[in-house]
Amino acid sequence: MTHTSFRPRRRAIVAAAAALPLVGLAACGSDTGDGPDLGGAGGGDEEGSPFADVIASGPVAEDDAVAASAWAAAIKEKDQLIRGGTVANQVFSLASTTGGQPTGFDAGITQLLAKYILGEGGDEKVEYIDTTVETRETLVQNGTVDCVIATYSITPERLDVIDFAGPYYLSGTAIQVRTEDAEKISGPEDLTGTKVVTQANSTGIQAAEEFIPDYDASLVQTLPDNESCVAALKQGRADAYVLDQGVLLGNSAADPEVTVVGEPFVDDPYGIGLSQDSEGAVDFVNTFLQEIIDSGAWEALWTATIGEVIDTEAPEPPTPGDLPS
Amino acid sequence: MSTTATQVLFDAPGPKGRRRILLLSILSVLVILALLVGALWQFQSNGQLDPGKWVVYLRADYIAFLWQGLWGTLKVTALAAVVAFPLGLLLALARLSRFRMLSALAAVWIEFYRGIPMLLVVYAFLLALPAFGVTFPQFWMLVIPMILVSSATTAEVFRAGINAVDRGQHEAAAAIGLSRRDAMVSVVLPQAVRLVLPSLILALVTLLKDSTLGYVVSYNELQFQGKTLVSITRYLVQTYLVVSVIYIVINFLLTRVALALDARMKARAAAS
Amino acid sequence: MDAIRENIPLLLQGIGTTVALTVLGYVFALVVGTAMAVARVSPIPPLRWAATVYVEIFRNIPLLSLLILIAFGLPDVGLRLPYFWCGVLGLTLSSAAFVCENVRSGINTVPVGHAEAARSIGLGFFGTLRHVVLPQAFRSMVQPLVNVFIGTVIGSALCSAIAVQEVTWVTQTLNIRYAQAVLMFLIAGAAYLILSLGGAALGGVIERAVSPGSGRDRSRAGAALDVTAGAQA
Repeated sequence: MTHTSFRPRRRAIVAAAAALPLVGLAACGSDTGDGPDLGGAGGGDEEGSPFADVIASGPVAEDDAVAASAWAAAIKEKDQLIRGGTVANQVFSLASTTGGQPTGFDAGITQLLAKYILGEGGDEKVEYIDTTVETRETLVQNGTVDCVIATYSITPERLDVIDFAGPYYLSGTAIQVRTEDAEKISGPEDLTGTKVVTQANSTGIQAAEEFIPDYDASLVQTLPDNESCVAALKQGRADAYVLDQGVLLGNSAADPEVTVVGEPFVDDPYGIGLSQDSEGAVDFVNTFLQEIIDSGAWEALWTATIGEVIDTEAPEPPTPGDLPS
Repeated sequence: MSTTATQVLFDAPGPKGRRRILLLSILSVLVILALLVGALWQFQSNGQLDPGKWVVYLRADYIAFLWQGLWGTLKVTALAAVVAFPLGLLLALARLSRFRMLSALAAVWIEFYRGIPMLLVVYAFLLALPAFGVTFPQFWMLVIPMILVSSATTAEVFRAGINAVDRGQHEAAAAIGLSRRDAMVSVVLPQAVRLVLPSLILALVTLLKDSTLGYVVSYNELQFQGKTLVSITRYLVQTYLVVSVIYIVINFLLTRVALALDARMKARAAAS
Repeated sequence: MDAIRENIPLLLQGIGTTVALTVLGYVFALVVGTAMAVARVSPIPPLRWAATVYVEIFRNIPLLSLLILIAFGLPDVGLRLPYFWCGVLGLTLSSAAFVCENVRSGINTVPVGHAEAARSIGLGFFGTLRHVVLPQAFRSMVQPLVNVFIGTVIGSALCSAIAVQEVTWVTQTLNIRYAQAVLMFLIAGAAYLILSLGGAALGGVIERAVSPGSGRDRSRAGAALDVTAGAQA
């Protein structure tokens, strides 16, 4: 029942894959290789798992509140929430392909929001659309997605083109290295003259530029996605991967060969990306965030997901609506 | 079948020649085997041959996962072809038109989209157009560039097809009193379309390959889905090889169909 | 406009990298492709099979998949090349498959009698190819080979996905910094058009030089219909 095949350092996905039921062919695990199960029906959101409990305990908005927000009312009307994000992050949002819901912190926020708007069972009425760092703004702007919940840092540049609700989590830009190098690098000051990789259009580029002493642009590679960046790091094309901690934690949760080192050195407050054309969206989502913070659902969700990979108590939740200037 | 130059480049070998060919054959087999063994050895010594990392692709959940991507690939390819091919035909007709302006416009369109990378067109749809408030859903940000680029290449195919229809057909049509336009529509085009059918299937192969650019707009096609799978399983070489093999097999089959069609048409032409 | 003025060196570098990728990829593809074509028409069966397998693999694999395999797949089996050379290798492998098929198809346009005559005066396989068949085949190959060149130019843009800092990559990066998307796309587009149309024009000149009889348009049209040579992405 609880057979998962992730390697030792896998506490992160305990939340994600706590009780993967083996479905169909997948049941003969030993005959068919030791690849991770790609989620399972129910997966981590199966009844009884801490993650599922959080979602089950989530609040539902008053009908009046939904009706008061054009954005929320439109979602209720079509009875579906379309979320932009990734489904390949072990800690924040991990796919299930066999019918279950994705799990992780962002996935949890998404499902709570869907339930909040659509009512009981709403957490299963989410359509997950893939976005990457390069495509998020555009897909929010043109209404392909209702919102982006994807370890999405609120920045002044992005605020120019879209709106953010939140912050709902305070993360930061951090450094990931190959596990064998974990001793050598502990912060951006150790990155002088080091080959650095980051994602195109991410906050990592600016962070590297600002915080690496004697920054040398020719040593920085940018690649279109997280997978290529991890490959570049593991294969020695780069010696450090600078990006938001949320993504990096997902990587080390899935892969013992890479480790996040030191403390985040730039604040990355995560927000929920919304179109500037969506009326009443920001306030509505902020009210929702405040409600799950007040009810303790936020902390429970944190413990069930991020708490599995960070060895501290749940942090103080941020104040929704408190945007960086 | 007519004889071609490739078939007469060397004599039917005598006993000595046969021995030499045998020797060279054995030698080249050895070299090829050495290369293959070397490649396998590299896989083995890096722990990538571990059967556990390969048989997972036979599992139902993995197949279903990749199928989602393949379905996305097939959808965009089919839709792009359905729009691009007729558009290509219209462009070819415009290019061949007697109206200078129309012909020049078509020529500019064709040379433009033939000469710039589709990646750039996709980026334009993703990043440049939204600045003017023009945006499209994800799906169309991939399909429209595919259509634009493919319309240019297929226009050239159609033009070649129209030119390849025997001049006599035009003259015969004129002789029975058909106008230039009627001759084109009811005499030349039907023949031209048959002539270009194999080339259109190859254009389909090109479209299928171009659909991999879905990664730019995060459209869930096979290559993108493979990337997501890599992130979950960390089996990088395996996943990307499996994905590539899927593309190769599909495109190989399509190419075979094109070649078979081509051969049949040539045979029929030779017979008549 | 500042976005351009301040970044002229970067832009020039990007254009230079694109040219280098294209030229290296194309020249290597000509060499490898011709060798493959010779193998495909040779009397040695295993060589013919090997070249056939090569062509079927590399003309059917999407270039992006190939580049990702080379850049991030090969290191996992112990072979790591710099990004730039990954790009060159990918372009070479892919374009060579099309060169091979075009050369083979060009050889087939040479009248059978010429090859037979060459053999009857005692030329062997290589002699026949080198002195009689290939020089004549070259004429009909110019236009298809121009198409392969354009394919290589266009394909080089995909190298931006493996961190090669060619012109698409540079304009993309500047675009993020300056939010001047249209300007950046115009620059990149112009660079590609000049390269591909320039290549096509050069091809036209070469073609007229080797075959005064046939016009460019005609052979370009012929190339578009040549199914055996395949169409390049």
